[in-house]
Amino acid sequence: MTVATLARQLPDTVRITLAEIDRDHRCADLFYGTVSGPGSYAFNLAAGVTEPALVLGSSAAFSWGSKYVHWAEGGRSWIQCFNLTLPVIDGVLMHQYLVQQGMTRLDPFLLGAVAGSRGTFAHPPRSPGAAGQQPLARAEYGYHFDPASHARCFAAAVPPRRIHHLKGALSRVGVCDGVITGIALDGADMVTADLYLDCSGPSAELLSRLDPAWLGGRALQISADDVAEARLGPPVRSVSFHDQGWAAQTPLRGSTRSLTVSDATASCNARGGLSASATLGRRRRAWAGNCVGIGHAAGIVEPLTPAPMMLLERDIERLMTLIPVSTASMTVEEREYNRRHGEDHHHAMRFTRALLETSALPDSDFWRAARDTPDAELEHKLAMFAERGLLVSYDLEPFHPEDWLIMHFGIGRRPRRHDRLADRADAKRVRRYLDDAAQQVANAAAALPSNHVYMTQLERYLRQDPRK
Amino acid sequence: MTQAPLGSIVIVGGGSAGWMTAAALSSLVESKDVSITVIESDAIGTVGVGEATIPDMLVFNQMLGISEAEFMRATEATFKLGIEFVDWGHKGDRYIHAFGQHGVDMEGIDFHQYWLRLNRDGGTAPIEDYSLSAVAAGAGRFALPDPNPRSVFSHLRYAYHFDATLYARYLRRYAEKRGVKRIEGVVNAVHRTAQGDGIAAVTMDSGAQVKGDFFFDCTGFRALLTGQTLDIDFVDWSAWLPCDSALAVPSAHVGPPPPYTRSTARPAGWQWRIPTQRRVGNGHIYSRSFMDDDEAERVLRKGVEGTLLAEPRSIRFKAGHRRQFWRGNCIAIGLAAGFLEPLESTSLYLIQEGISRFISLFPNGDIPDILRVEYNRYMQKKFEQVRDFIVLHYVATNRDDTPFWHYCRTMSVPDSLRHKMELFRETGRIFRYDDELFARPSWVAVMLGQGIMPERCDPIVAALPARDVANSLQSMASAMKDAASRMPTHASFIASYCAATEG
Repeated sequence: MTVATLARQLPDTVRITLAEIDRDHRCADLFYGTVSGPGSYAFNLAAGVTEPALVLGSSAAFSWGSKYVHWAEGGRSWIQCFNLTLPVIDGVLMHQYLVQQGMTRLDPFLLGAVAGSRGTFAHPPRSPGAAGQQPLARAEYGYHFDPASHARCFAAAVPPRRIHHLKGALSRVGVCDGVITGIALDGADMVTADLYLDCSGPSAELLSRLDPAWLGGRALQISADDVAEARLGPPVRSVSFHDQGWAAQTPLRGSTRSLTVSDATASCNARGGLSASATLGRRRRAWAGNCVGIGHAAGIVEPLTPAPMMLLERDIERLMTLIPVSTASMTVEEREYNRRHGEDHHHAMRFTRALLETSALPDSDFWRAARDTPDAELEHKLAMFAERGLLVSYDLEPFHPEDWLIMHFGIGRRPRRHDRLADRADAKRVRRYLDDAAQQVANAAAALPSNHVYMTQLERYLRQDPRK
Repeated sequence: MTQAPLGSIVIVGGGSAGWMTAAALSSLVESKDVSITVIESDAIGTVGVGEATIPDMLVFNQMLGISEAEFMRATEATFKLGIEFVDWGHKGDRYIHAFGQHGVDMEGIDFHQYWLRLNRDGGTAPIEDYSLSAVAAGAGRFALPDPNPRSVFSHLRYAYHFDATLYARYLRRYAEKRGVKRIEGVVNAVHRTAQGDGIAAVTMDSGAQVKGDFFFDCTGFRALLTGQTLDIDFVDWSAWLPCDSALAVPSAHVGPPPPYTRSTARPAGWQWRIPTQRRVGNGHIYSRSFMDDDEAERVLRKGVEGTLLAEPRSIRFKAGHRRQFWRGNCIAIGLAAGFLEPLESTSLYLIQEGISRFISLFPNGDIPDILRVEYNRYMQKKFEQVRDFIVLHYVATNRDDTPFWHYCRTMSVPDSLRHKMELFRETGRIFRYDDELFARPSWVAVMLGQGIMPERCDPIVAALPARDVANSLQSMASAMKDAASRMPTHASFIASYCAATEG
């Protein structure tokens, strides 16, 4: 993904060398999970991977989000879907009216949630005007993906002859005065560069030499098994828990991927599939000297949410906005990159951690350890929502207020009081408005084709002419 | 305190802060449920003659549901498209910090990177030539923005200049119509609650006692409730913002009112010019460590263009904010909460934010501590964000012609600001924080306007053919110029839309 983005966006005057070291990334890449967020579409496009190319070149399928099964208070389930900003009515956020009206569910107003539970899908219209007002237009989607086939798609998108491609075993890394001075593959001559991007995974072959400190704690094991499927499943990943961890079922095209996450010391359950273990956390400096760690080389989060892929995309986007303008000194870029990397990682961890604030989860060693990370800002967020339905946000959070709102309502968190501004509106009119809105969403979701039918027709259409 | 709803709110002090609070609350709660009382004295003056605002003021007016034209007539308001800064970066320089965007971002890359690209190759028009608000301001023209995002007029953003005294009067009428009770008189004593952490009542000079469940301290710099009674100390920012005095005076117009504020740097501070419909508000803000009051008055008089309509009035202040904005059952709003000089017209914005945040946290009588924590966190952040942007104007200067400017140019600045400046100077990049008031175009306008010129631009833009970039920018500038020429003059727009009635 990094190479494709650099190749597309950097001018030809910048020489890009891909030093592909002999290593099977498929196992460690399982920690990127199986679902991405709505930002993936634009990210992929900027790297030269169009949606048709993704559909035709990988096993990716569309995703409204994740269903957390029996995860909420009282053992209920909800779909953590992606959604654009909810309507603001007379200056007041819509959920405040729900609280005012004593309505406890947000999902009837979320097309992704309703369509997800029905197993239906269609692309949301993005045009302004009448189409832009439809309930479908407020929905957003990401992708279900298999990291290995996802990576192949990006590799195929690199323009021919744009990069210099080396392959081999990493035999030497030169380090001097806090910078990388060069690398060698298979004992060949050193390759030198102005900037080194470390995409070698959790081992961080380059960055760890400059910044060995890893801030983290919990070690997890992840395993994946694929079961062939003739029919594409629903556009929703399903996540369920058990005493020793959690499992996710992700419909892909041609198969369903079962992902199991447990403590690193647990026995591996992979039935001939892939497995890996890693310690969650991040490197103290994602950018050190002339080396930037991308993805797992810089940080690892639990793939309980789309956070791992969101963070990987953010790493690359952040790098592109901070590509050094001078090789003489990169300290300003380094400082800003590390500040934002740290913030992004904290925010992603916080959102994941917030999912655990439910009494439905077992009181087992795995879940106790998962919750054993006090976070004052998270406590403040939860308390403010509980008090007033207020969505406290901090700078540049990867998860938007809507994501938090959907989670709060999904888990069953209820504000004690609503925004007093909501009382200015006529209660009967508000109720009518909300009932109409829910009905429109239900009608729109009912009119969509099943995910399998939609994808089959889309594929057929694209195969006629993939340029479409 | 109980879990029962608040039954009575007392606002001590009128002025903009007091009446904005009263008006907003009265639009929200029924007077039969919550009584709102404003205590003010005609004997205590309010600060400000001409008040300049930022576009967020439109949101406040919308929240109150007031008609723009009616409000403008009543407050003798004019439109504001930005602020012209004169002599800030160098003596003889000028630039406009206009509302809204510069140009159009292309291929996901900020517009100013394209501008830097052309500038590197030997210069281009000033960046404000790509802002419709700035071009219209320079031409003395105005039109309302077009809601159609495809229209070039959708790029317009505006705010108001108005008479602050008339504004308070207008809001008073609004609030009183909605059941707000006004008590005329001076507060003689303030009584703490039995626990000592809140306000129980105030005693008037008449001897009457006014009790309340919740109090707003809108007593201005005196901070009678929060500072003097609850002993909340003050976070002093005068090391970064050394100006501590102002002289304000109205003057007659010497031409049609321009649709922008002017801020002119002076030897030990700066001078504002705020045109309302009938007169011009002027003020000289200065540091007494670098200039005495007599000299400051001479500077003010010399800098005023029209005939003075009154004698200059002196105001003393200290930059900073109260360490807690909300303690117990009392919130400080306006000058009681803190002061940041009106260089970027943020005074009413900070009032507005204080009120809005309170409304979103509207408590019962029990007032959980978490509400205070959130309010104080939020307001402190707002003050710090505005502070950094104001300090930028002082520190980003090449002026060294007076001791004041030498001090400003060489002073240390908050880390948050230093980081932003370094990033722009060395890489041409700006990163806005999520809910920061001033967006990227504002930072770009001031940094470039005051002489922080990045040596390089984004390497991706740097690789584009100069001719392509020049053509794109040229067409944008032409579109802005053409659009501005089709707008009515500011004076004629006001005459047809919101001319103040003879008073």
